[in-house]
Amino acid sequence: MSEASERLSASSWDVESLLSEALRPIEPPERLSARFEDTLAAVTAAAAEELSDWAEELSESELRALRDPRNWVRPVVAVGAGGVATGALVLIELRRRGRRRSERGLRSLAGGLRSRL
Amino acid sequence: MSGPTENVEPGDLGPAAKAELDRAFDRFYRDHLRDVYSYAYYRVGNHHDAEDLTEQAFLQAYRHFDRARRESDGRPLRPWLIRIAHNLASNYYRDRSRRPQTPLESADPIAARHDTEAIAEGREELREVMANLEHLSEDRREALIMRFALGMDNREIARALGRSDGATKVLIHRAIKQLQEEMSDERGE
Repeated sequence: MSEASERLSASSWDVESLLSEALRPIEPPERLSARFEDTLAAVTAAAAEELSDWAEELSESELRALRDPRNWVRPVVAVGAGGVATGALVLIELRRRGRRRSERGLRSLAGGLRSRL
Repeated sequence: MSGPTENVEPGDLGPAAKAELDRAFDRFYRDHLRDVYSYAYYRVGNHHDAEDLTEQAFLQAYRHFDRARRESDGRPLRPWLIRIAHNLASNYYRDRSRRPQTPLESADPIAARHDTEAIAEGREELREVMANLEHLSEDRREALIMRFALGMDNREIARALGRSDGATKVLIHRAIKQLQEEMSDERGE
């Protein structure tokens, strides 16, 4: 090993040992563990509460009612009625357009006859 | 060992599984509290923010602990935990658009912990090395904090920084070389 590289490696070793000394692990304050436990307990309690609120919102009777086929009639009827109403609106619109087109046709025919006479 | 990869929050587990998870997390917390705190402290430069950062890192770790254990295949979870702290520290700077309030050279590690012994032994080099550490780029400084304050090896640091082992080795080598050159320049060597 040359003198220069020996010096470099010794110098490198020095920096590393200085870093080991300067960057010592820092002991956390004792209060931190207690603080973390409190926060964790609060977060867990809040999550559990949220979960139970959600479960309460859908009570057992509500879930039973959702599963009962007798209660499916209303939504089916509503969807059917909606479909019929939409169909009727489409039909009315088509007729209206057809009528307008034929009126325009009659008017132009009458205009043409008048100009010839 | 690896099961389904979907995230199961601790609250979604059954009572027995949750109790087991909590016990495991408690051990994990005790084993790594000092690592996370040291990392946070050297990143933010003050105890107040270091405490906040440490708390946030462990809360986030708790939420994903079950999944991390399943996916770790027995590998240590420390790099994963330090990566959480690393991301939080990056957000800390981004959100608040600030650098450490106190430069590390005058922060507590030397002022409070090493001063008595350092000054008694005339170790001004410690101050010097900490001052020069501040001149390094963020990734180089972080790698050195992980190596020297946390005692992590190259592979662990690579996982924590999301880099390859080779790139990490080069990063650390260059960081040390830069420090060495800057200190030599200051001493007029």
